[in-house]
Amino acid sequence: MSGLRKYVSFARTSLEITFVYRAGFVLNMIGTIFYVVAMFYLWQTVFLGNPGSLGGFTWPEMKAYILVSFLLSSLLTWYDEWVMSQDIREGYVAVDLARPFDFQASRFARAMGPIIFEATSAVGVAAVVALVFGGAALPADPGRAALFVVSCALATIIKFGLVYCVSMTAFWTTSIEGIMVGRSAIQNIFSGALIPLVFFPDWLQSVAAVLPFQAMISTPALVYLGKLDAQSTAVAIGVQVVWAVGLLFLGRLAFRQAVKVVTIHGG
Amino acid sequence: MPPLIEAHGLTKKFRQAVKEPGLAGALKHFFVRQYRDKLAVDHIDLAIEPGESVAYLGPNGAGKSTTIKMLTGILVPSSGSLIVNGLVPYEKRQRNARNIGVVFGQRTQLWWDIPVVESFNLARDMYEIPADRYKKNLGEFTEMLGLAEFMNVPAAKISLGQRMRADLCMALLHDPRILYLDEPTIGLDIAVKDSIRKFVRARVEEYGTTVMLTTHDLGDIEDICRRIVIIDNGKIIHDGDLATLKDTYARDRVIHFQLARPAESMAAICQKLPACEVASDGLRLSVRFDRFEHAAGEIAGAVMPLVEVIDFRIDEPEVEDLIRRVYLGQLSLAPGDEPELRSAKPAVVAEA
Amino acid sequence: MAVEMHPNRSIVDALGADLRARAHGARRGVYLYFRCLGQQMKAIMAYETDFIVLLLSAVLVQLAGFAVIWAIFQRIPSVNGWTFWQVVMMYALIFVTEGVGSLFFEGTWRLSSLVYTGQFDQMLLRPVSPIVQVLAGAVGFNGLGNLVTGFVLIGIAVTNVPVEWTPGRLLMLAILIVSASVIRVAINLASAASTFWIRSPWSMVPMFVHRLGDFAKYPITIYSYAVQALIVVAVPFAFVSFFPTAWVFGVDAWSLPGLLTPLVAIYAVLMSVWLFRVGLRRYESSGH
Repeated sequence: MSGLRKYVSFARTSLEITFVYRAGFVLNMIGTIFYVVAMFYLWQTVFLGNPGSLGGFTWPEMKAYILVSFLLSSLLTWYDEWVMSQDIREGYVAVDLARPFDFQASRFARAMGPIIFEATSAVGVAAVVALVFGGAALPADPGRAALFVVSCALATIIKFGLVYCVSMTAFWTTSIEGIMVGRSAIQNIFSGALIPLVFFPDWLQSVAAVLPFQAMISTPALVYLGKLDAQSTAVAIGVQVVWAVGLLFLGRLAFRQAVKVVTIHGG
Repeated sequence: MPPLIEAHGLTKKFRQAVKEPGLAGALKHFFVRQYRDKLAVDHIDLAIEPGESVAYLGPNGAGKSTTIKMLTGILVPSSGSLIVNGLVPYEKRQRNARNIGVVFGQRTQLWWDIPVVESFNLARDMYEIPADRYKKNLGEFTEMLGLAEFMNVPAAKISLGQRMRADLCMALLHDPRILYLDEPTIGLDIAVKDSIRKFVRARVEEYGTTVMLTTHDLGDIEDICRRIVIIDNGKIIHDGDLATLKDTYARDRVIHFQLARPAESMAAICQKLPACEVASDGLRLSVRFDRFEHAAGEIAGAVMPLVEVIDFRIDEPEVEDLIRRVYLGQLSLAPGDEPELRSAKPAVVAEA
Repeated sequence: MAVEMHPNRSIVDALGADLRARAHGARRGVYLYFRCLGQQMKAIMAYETDFIVLLLSAVLVQLAGFAVIWAIFQRIPSVNGWTFWQVVMMYALIFVTEGVGSLFFEGTWRLSSLVYTGQFDQMLLRPVSPIVQVLAGAVGFNGLGNLVTGFVLIGIAVTNVPVEWTPGRLLMLAILIVSASVIRVAINLASAASTFWIRSPWSMVPMFVHRLGDFAKYPITIYSYAVQALIVVAVPFAFVSFFPTAWVFGVDAWSLPGLLTPLVAIYAVLMSVWLFRVGLRRYESSGH
């Protein structure tokens, strides 16, 4: 247990910092809400003109989909990525290297610190938006809700894994800002964050299927809505596990390479 | 003629957020914010004549930088009046900027990513410096400050000493009437400090540029300034020239004698010099005296016949020491208080 | 000096001098703006790959947004009577103006950190308007990606407008795009000025206001009155995208306000400069 303590301490400090930047956090949240609200109005208008279902989604289901996407996008914001890559760029990592803890684990702990706060705020906001727009679909039964929570947890680990890998590029390039923007743009398309993947033509759907992004938003959202049967659900969650492990491993690999670079060039 | 810089009751109040430590404190701060007012500068009066060179001193957080920032127009005073060269700085900020040059030791005025000379050229355009004057000044400053070697290097890649010299050059390209220097020699090596001081002194002497200097380095003061203003807790606690400060508060001197044999009779010496403090330690003998009571020669004349002196030297208290004592509160400069003569340094210890 | 003169004459002279001084000040401001911006450009060009990555990432962001609109219109012919190309035009205008903002006026985004760290001091020590210095303070090459993609989309969209393109109409289109950009930059500046009130290294007000622009990517008729009031009156994003589009496509019900866009631009500039100046008086520097 004592080995875990330092990581808990990281998470705590990180949460404190989040509070310090309260204005920033709240406003960031509201900023995302605008997008969600705009999408709500857009889809509301679309469904008013086309009652019934569109791409297999009813209006209450679409509302739930957008909110789940919003919730997952609110966890682990760009802030974590930015701080991590800045630390690398400014050479603070050298200090971390000299300390007795695992780098990836410490970064994970730091990212997870504010996550309870982020999650509760996002759920609260989602609930309010859902209420204003006349409710949204809920998971059909507790079992599915539980599966959804598991899937969300996996999605968050995948997101961390990805963000960690992307931050590692800061060891090699100064273009981290552009890479971050590019990462979120690609992720927005292929994760289904902006629109359910089923709305895309087949070829684009096939591309999305082989990328890790769909496991970050589309999978939890479809699990939530019960769009997958028992077997597909098991497969989808299995795929999430594979991506989570794979990306974490890739991150470690990248870090090991990076440390060589640092020690050779003297950071 | 009115003074070049004139302040009456100049005051700056800041609102500070009060935070409690720890997670609970952060949480509390998240919901309820508490503030308290801090008087950074508290009703100060200041008049500086053209051509004066003034050291503006005080411990960290005393209000030095805040004052400079009000004089330069960066900050709007909370109350009081301020006129610099006929202008209210924060109202006519841009016009005021043409009359002043500013060097902040902690922060550069140069553009970070571009070669130093490009920063100078940009300054030329911003200040609308006529071409011939620009050429003349730049040539002169390059020579005096030794800028040539890094003229084409981006500011991000030059050393601190080079940066300070370049900053000083840029601050003076438009021939400002007033030069504000905020810790201009902080972190620099002796050679660079020296060239900067020499350069500033030349400006004061040859062009009559008015200089206001804040520093923790007392070498800066002795080399550049005639007048000393000390601020503490936002209030000016001393304003006068350097010589007077020394005469008033640094009156004691110590003569150290090196003896051939240990002194036989301390009592005889003490008797001859009743107003002095005599201490001895083996072959060393020291006499502390008030230089307005005795001349150094008098002391020597009194001591020499009684002991065999090989060598002697006289210690003057350094300005640095003096000002440190003011900061530490050991020496009160408030009007009405008697100057305290005892030095903070322990006197030469006990008798053998 | 003016004592001997006829009073009227001296007033005329004074007015003339004042006007000349103002004109000179404005020209000097514009000149110094480009001078400073040029330096920033040079500095950034040194990082060639960053430049390309930023540009590409901006194009990607645009394509992501475009994909959503395209996917929706694959299933339905129109939203609330608005056709695909009309919505594309609104969307593209948001991005073109954003591109202008980043490419030429990215400095507004740096203001909060400048103010927080006290580096803003330096801008107050120079005989140049701090607003000019803030605007010219940075170059965002991602803006170029937005500009190019945005203009391509506008180009395609306007070929689908069922009206004839006379020179006058083209000129008006240009005026509308310029006005829309001016409104956008004025909104950026005004929101950046919030940092004088909210002191935080991550002042999110500019981002918050910026994201309000999300509403204006789609026709405002889909929103409730409250949201409409927000983006028409409070923060006039509707004049950046919706009203100009309505005018260009000749949508009668909404095209008249489209013609007001240049006036709204002037109003937005005046408001933002005023806000900035009021905020400036509150500036506290740092580390007193």
